[in-house]
Amino acid sequence: MSKIEIKNLTVDYTEKKKSFTALKDVSFSIEEGEFVSVIGSSGCGKSTLLSILEGINTPTDGKILIDGEPIRGTGTNRGVVFQHYSLFPWMTARKNVAFGIKQVYKGVNRAERLKIADEFLGKVGLEQFRNKYPSQLSGGMQQRVAIARALAMDTDILLMDEPFGAIDAKNRTILQELLLELWEGDGTKARKTVVFVTHDIDEAILLSDKIVMMTANPGRVYQEIEVPFDRPRNRANLVQTKEYNKFRNKLLALFYSDIAEKIGGEEVVL
Amino acid sequence: MTVKQRYCRVVHALFIVFLLIQFIPDKLSGETYSSYAIWFVVGVEVLTLIFSALIKKPVGLNLFADIVTFIYGLLTAWVLATAKFNLLKPALFPPPGKVFWQAVSDYEKIFVNIQSSIGIILQGYLLGIVIAVPLGLFLGWSARLGSAATYVSKFLGAIPPIVYIPYGIALLPTFRSVSVFVIFLATFWPVLGGTMSGVMNVEKKTIDSAKVLNVSRLTMLFSIMLPASLQQIFIGCNQGLTVSFVLLTSAEMIGAQSGLGYYIKNYSDFGDYTRTIVGLIVVGIVIVFISFIFNRIQKFLLRWKV
Repeated sequence: MSKIEIKNLTVDYTEKKKSFTALKDVSFSIEEGEFVSVIGSSGCGKSTLLSILEGINTPTDGKILIDGEPIRGTGTNRGVVFQHYSLFPWMTARKNVAFGIKQVYKGVNRAERLKIADEFLGKVGLEQFRNKYPSQLSGGMQQRVAIARALAMDTDILLMDEPFGAIDAKNRTILQELLLELWEGDGTKARKTVVFVTHDIDEAILLSDKIVMMTANPGRVYQEIEVPFDRPRNRANLVQTKEYNKFRNKLLALFYSDIAEKIGGEEVVL
Repeated sequence: MTVKQRYCRVVHALFIVFLLIQFIPDKLSGETYSSYAIWFVVGVEVLTLIFSALIKKPVGLNLFADIVTFIYGLLTAWVLATAKFNLLKPALFPPPGKVFWQAVSDYEKIFVNIQSSIGIILQGYLLGIVIAVPLGLFLGWSARLGSAATYVSKFLGAIPPIVYIPYGIALLPTFRSVSVFVIFLATFWPVLGGTMSGVMNVEKKTIDSAKVLNVSRLTMLFSIMLPASLQQIFIGCNQGLTVSFVLLTSAEMIGAQSGLGYYIKNYSDFGDYTRTIVGLIVVGIVIVFISFIFNRIQKFLLRWKV
């Protein structure tokens, strides 16, 4: 049994009496401990798909099974990192992390929660900033706190919706490597199942075991591609290999062939 | 700041002017209690000098000095127009020294009246907040009740609370309970409205962030919605506080046996305008003081805002 099974998912939206289909008949599955990226151009429904996994949205048709059980609303088995910093502005960094822990571990007392929070803030390199409010932190730092919170909650599944989409290129690279390192771990603990939404092909290749490419109007799965590179991965080494470039070109070709198909192959504006 | 910037200021020149005009003989017959005015001004001057020595930012000192300059200017004009040249009706315009003397000699009575007024305000005001905030959170959060409640509160909140006084007097046994009730109403509606509109305007991303953390309903209301709508709640609280003062002092002038409004009304009925002016100044000081504390609380609770 797969960890997550997405079965014939269809989502229709009605806005101002016009309905459109955000997702149509989307099916794929994700194994336990697998890192899956969902990529596609904007409007392909990848964020809608994730919002259903989060439990914030409900599908019009079809279902998602986690450990064989259909999703009903949000759940403590899933941790979420949004693109737009999801921290609570009235809580300091460590309070934000501790608040997340409190929602999952009901029995843990305050001192212990703060201790765990500090530990995870340390992992993302923010121990000195733990008493700062989000407004006093840069976008990248806020996202580190959000990741620390999601990891500290120690959920089986991690859902990430373009978490580095609004961060400058240099910090994005640093954060990708941090996430890779934290997720791969030292091999002593089982890896979490991750669903990672992005529109950045390099990001998807670096991080994922499998890439699900989606296409827009209506949102459908276009291709599922296994990423053949060994772990632990290292960006600097990986990008130099021939295999990487070959794989990347293949993905790019798929990505743009989909776009060309959509607009009739006449004109491709990149 | 240089020594010159710190101490070489118009305000000190005005201080000396004020002392010098004391050498003009009083034209007003009767006691003018000039020494009280002089001691008051000397006290303010000492404070100004201490402040000048300690403050770090020139902007703050400028502001402080300007305010003190205004006070000195006002007192100088007041002394000249009353005690020194007797330009105004002495019964209506007592000299400042006499006002300060009266304030000092009435110290205990004034203190009791302040206590009475603040006691009523705090009771009605806090009761209003304690009931309106949780109710507003709950109503704002439940979409359907919330939109109905908005209209109801707009209608009921539009009725000026002062018109409830006659009805309140019929309903409730004592003047004090009527005052508390009216202040409660004056606070309740704006705070309820502020809380509800605060909750309804919380950003979706904040709500989603809380939802995916699987928070309970109570946590959602009190740990998320409450802080997220705090700024709007404070707008309501501020409005309630302002109206409460107006209401209480008016109500005290109508039917009370204590309080600052009563103090002012009672003595002006007897033609004792010195005490009337004392009352006006005390009301001003009390309101400024309470607003100051209120602002401090607000700043502290909203310290996370940029």
